[in-house]
Amino acid sequence: MPEFDPEAYAKQAAAAIGLPLNPAHLPGITMNLALAKRMAGLIEQMKITPADEAAPVYVPRKTP
Amino acid sequence: MSSAVSLAAEIRAGRRRAADVLEERLADIAARNANFNAFTEVTAARARAEAAAVDAKVAAGQDPGPMAGVPVAVKNLFDLEGITTLAGAKIERDSPPAVRDAFLVRQMQAAGAVMLGALNMDEYAYGFTTENAHYGPCHNPHDLTRIAGGSSGGSAAAVAGGLVPITLGSDTNGSIRVPSSLCGIWGLKPTYGRLSRSGGFLFAASFDHLGPFARDLADLALAYNVLQGEDPEDPAQHWLGAAPVDVSPEIGGLRIAVAGDHFTRGGHAEGFAAVEAVARALGTTQSVTIPDAALGRAAAFLITMAEGANLHLPNLRTRPEDFDFATRDRFLAGALLPAHWPQQAQRVRAAYRAKALALFDEVDVIIAPATPYVAPKIGQEMIEVEGAMIPVRPNLGVYTQPISCIGLPVIAAPIADPAALGTPGGMPIGVQLIAAPWAEAKLFRVAAMLEKLGVCKAPDVKA
Repeated sequence: MPEFDPEAYAKQAAAAIGLPLNPAHLPGITMNLALAKRMAGLIEQMKITPADEAAPVYVPRKTP
Repeated sequence: MSSAVSLAAEIRAGRRRAADVLEERLADIAARNANFNAFTEVTAARARAEAAAVDAKVAAGQDPGPMAGVPVAVKNLFDLEGITTLAGAKIERDSPPAVRDAFLVRQMQAAGAVMLGALNMDEYAYGFTTENAHYGPCHNPHDLTRIAGGSSGGSAAAVAGGLVPITLGSDTNGSIRVPSSLCGIWGLKPTYGRLSRSGGFLFAASFDHLGPFARDLADLALAYNVLQGEDPEDPAQHWLGAAPVDVSPEIGGLRIAVAGDHFTRGGHAEGFAAVEAVARALGTTQSVTIPDAALGRAAAFLITMAEGANLHLPNLRTRPEDFDFATRDRFLAGALLPAHWPQQAQRVRAAYRAKALALFDEVDVIIAPATPYVAPKIGQEMIEVEGAMIPVRPNLGVYTQPISCIGLPVIAAPIADPAALGTPGGMPIGVQLIAAPWAEAKLFRVAAMLEKLGVCKAPDVKA
């Protein structure tokens, strides 16, 4: 698997969501993406199963 | 400055006029706010009308409410009718004025409080320092060269500096508890869903809480009791009915422990010394591990990035240069995260919550550091922790993020004599008192005991 390239990723993901990127902002963006990847690596350590539902649960209407 | 409780008592009894109290506060703010850069807007006309209404009620023999004539102010992400809600952003100057007060502002007004204005903060609440590029840095009243903390820095500085006795702020990852600790005052982050957030500018809705700051614990309780109310407009509120608290130092039967593991590293000696001082005073010897706290912090980090960026994507697309440079690149990066990361984080968050809640079968209140160090200097980028130089700002939330991630209620309690604890320059520092969801009353009992023992109290600002 190729190594994560935050700058190349940022350019492609930004294009996908229609977000113009100023080249001057790229160093800060890539630094923050690299930090986010480290955080994502941490949460991957927790063993969860398909039964582990996400925290927010949709409520169609508050109970009166 | 008198406490809110004593001011309200004097005004209700007709011994002082709300209008006189207000004019004294307005003059003081005019003279000293520039030292702290706490207020971004002073709503003098509104305050004069509210004070006059309180005095008229007293003169007519009517009940003006439990906060009669108490001067208050709010972080500038709370809607104040007729004022543009800035949320610390230059971009929001273009927004129309708010058409209605935020729910919590209406609660205080109905209780007789007098609204003096809006307070400085990190842009869109994304920071722990209130070094705002558009509105200037907020200064710590205990040392004007240091930060007040953030993101509710103006709210903490206004209280610590004695401009008003009670303010409101928001806390997504620590933004009430961090400035409370750094400015040496009391702060309450209630259980997630306890207090309405409607009329507050959201940051990361999964974690956004609103709550009060005060110099006196009794004032914190007064504010918290007034703020409680059902609001069908806030989808995140989980209304269980009003649960008023008091400040009785009754801790018999409460099981109290110190947080271990994650909460014993990553900071300076003063943060841990504060915990030891509180534990010693309470006779606490038990330690508990909040399992996977570091993973909870990581989950909070990713969800915050994704939710915050999504909120601001239209402006990130069209006017990124108008963001504060301190938030812009984090928002831009947050907009680009693969969906797997925040979604996995929400599942990890739920699993972490289940583990953490099991702890409360064994303990009622957990003591943890609030901040890893005292207030850094304004502009300081790096700090040495455990032999390594790390960025000073994000690390300020190392102990608060794992707790707000799962919505536990917390009182930030100020150490009464930080100099005796050996803090650098005698600067303030606090601790977190943490309880199970909906158990704010237990926190107030422990806080009241700490106040009675003389361990916790807002330290005076040296002239």
